Amino acid sequence: MRSIRILFSLSFLAAFCLIAMPRAAAQSGNDIRINEILVINDSNYIDDFGQRNAWIELFNTAYNKVDVGGMYLTNDPNNPTKYRIPKGDPITSIPARNYLIFFADNHTTRGILHLNFDLKDSDYLALYDMNGRTLIDEVRFPKLEVDKSYGRVTDGGSEWEVLHKTTPKSNNFTGEPRNPGLEFKEFDPFGIGMALIAMTVVFLALILLYLVFKNTRSFYGIKFSDLFKQKAVSGVKVEAQPDLTGEVNAAIALSLYLFRNELHDNEATVLTIKKVARTYSPWSSKIYGLRNFHK
Amino acid sequence: METSSSYLSFVIEHLQQFFSYTAFANITIGHVIMIAIGLFFIFLAITKEYEPLLLVPIGFGILIGNIPFKPGFQIGVYETGSVFNYLYFGVLQGVYPPLIFLGIGAMTDFSALISNPKLLLIGAAAQLGIFGAYAIALMLGFSPTEAGAIGIIGGADGPTAIFLSSKLAPDLLGAIAISAYSYMALVPVIQPPIMRLLTTDKERVIRMKPPRAVSKNEKIMFPIIGLLLTTFIVPSALSLLGMLFFGNLLKESTVTKRLADTAKGPLIDIVTILIGLTVGASTQATTFLTYKSVGIFVLGAFSFVIATFGGVMFVKIINLFLKEGNKMNPLIGNAGVSAVPDSARVSQFVGLEYDKTNHLLMHAMGPNVAGVIGSAVAAGILLGFLS
Repeated sequence: MRSIRILFSLSFLAAFCLIAMPRAAAQSGNDIRINEILVINDSNYIDDFGQRNAWIELFNTAYNKVDVGGMYLTNDPNNPTKYRIPKGDPITSIPARNYLIFFADNHTTRGILHLNFDLKDSDYLALYDMNGRTLIDEVRFPKLEVDKSYGRVTDGGSEWEVLHKTTPKSNNFTGEPRNPGLEFKEFDPFGIGMALIAMTVVFLALILLYLVFKNTRSFYGIKFSDLFKQKAVSGVKVEAQPDLTGEVNAAIALSLYLFRNELHDNEATVLTIKKVARTYSPWSSKIYGLRNFHK
Repeated sequence: METSSSYLSFVIEHLQQFFSYTAFANITIGHVIMIAIGLFFIFLAITKEYEPLLLVPIGFGILIGNIPFKPGFQIGVYETGSVFNYLYFGVLQGVYPPLIFLGIGAMTDFSALISNPKLLLIGAAAQLGIFGAYAIALMLGFSPTEAGAIGIIGGADGPTAIFLSSKLAPDLLGAIAISAYSYMALVPVIQPPIMRLLTTDKERVIRMKPPRAVSKNEKIMFPIIGLLLTTFIVPSALSLLGMLFFGNLLKESTVTKRLADTAKGPLIDIVTILIGLTVGASTQATTFLTYKSVGIFVLGAFSFVIATFGGVMFVKIINLFLKEGNKMNPLIGNAGVSAVPDSARVSQFVGLEYDKTNHLLMHAMGPNVAGVIGSAVAAGILLGFLS
């Protein structure tokens, strides 16, 4: 029965962890998203050479720097390794929650941010991991008007649309950003809602702890090592000791302390002599000291 | 003659220049007031022994932070590249508070709490002070983030107050930290009158059952389960609760004694020195002496009163549902604020005033350490909602 209870508790904990796991995100190349695409650039973003070309914006959704060097960009679903982003260039490191623009102009001589394809006849774009096989992100985009971009409604979000404003190297969402503090001020000017919500959460957290520790006292009392020991065969039935109260424990501890305290050999400046037992060891033996010569 | 006069003017000019660098040339009335406050803190710490481990570094830090100087020489705590600025980094980025929590965890015995888990709820009730102060701060015109940072003073937990204000309202960090630590030192003054006001003679002499013995397994599992349950609900409190429970596991596992000894000894001492000194130094008169700081001090006092009220009244309410013999003494309610172990000591002393043989210390330690968990959870909630 006891073992079943333990197994049940452990499986509950494991299930709890498994449920939570998919939500945990690692911070790696998987955090990069294709964020915005502009195909026909007439009066839009200019590259370092003063040219206007189609551009692709990548967004790092992670909260740490991610290097996209070695990854692949392609506009051909059958050729995932069409353009390999060169490794070892600091420009390919995208800071946390930041952007990197590539120019789809088929002019690789203009630097590593200029791709070996353009988007004139494309409706597809994909980003592959360094192995050239693992798809990180892909998008099929509609035919776009001049200077119109297709992008995620919010950076890194799942919803795409033709954006009202092109936003190279900046937030796709151009409205007023959500400010939780101001929202609380607007909807909860006296802090009553906050007090209710927060006190509920504090109580919930501590009630959970309370329930766990109220009901699992017997669980903690188990000596796990005993579970794996073979049960001794004995005809004598031993009655379980009831739990000792703290006061009894304190009394035992005090008496032990006093007993041990009386063992010392120096009290109230009266020097006493106490025999100290020394176990024999050849390492500390004076018989075999180096200064003793063989006779 | 002309050479000697130009030489004289050269000397005078440089003497004047030197004088312009001295504190005498740059002193303001604000500096004088702050130096007086710093001296008062040191006086309280040394003569009255009010939280000396905190008030001596903070008081001396106030002196350091308020030595007037000409800016531009990388001297002050707010000047990039200065020594104090480097040390202050740990405060600004919230590095020191979790390290202090590690030490607190390594020196805290949760046995009282494990043996009587009901006491956890008192630790939750006392967090009312945080949200009461938050509401009042909003009414006084502070922004929600500022109000959240001010409210946490009511948790009576210095590291948590520093941690949260560094995230929500860095401009108010100095005032909030000073206020939190000052009121923590004044717990023996603030709490007893409220406790007496809210309790009857009969309630004050309630004897509680002695705590049962707690097994080693229970003590080991407490930090593990505590971490999982609390941080799954409030992950934003991870850095505080993670370090608190980790420190406690180091202690209770008994196989990492050296690590536990370091965490509760040299490490917490070093961090206390750094946090105290730099928080004190951050109270430069030019940034500290404002009406907002005065407001923070007033609100800090309110939050302590509300927290004490919340804890004591919660015990009284709970008692209505408990059978005779299982009732709790409401004098331990004040210990729900996390000023460890001062508020538990207050419970003990006030309890002894009414019954010389009724020792409440062990019972009060339960809500006291629950308060540490509760205030960290509350800080996580505020951080999650407002940042």
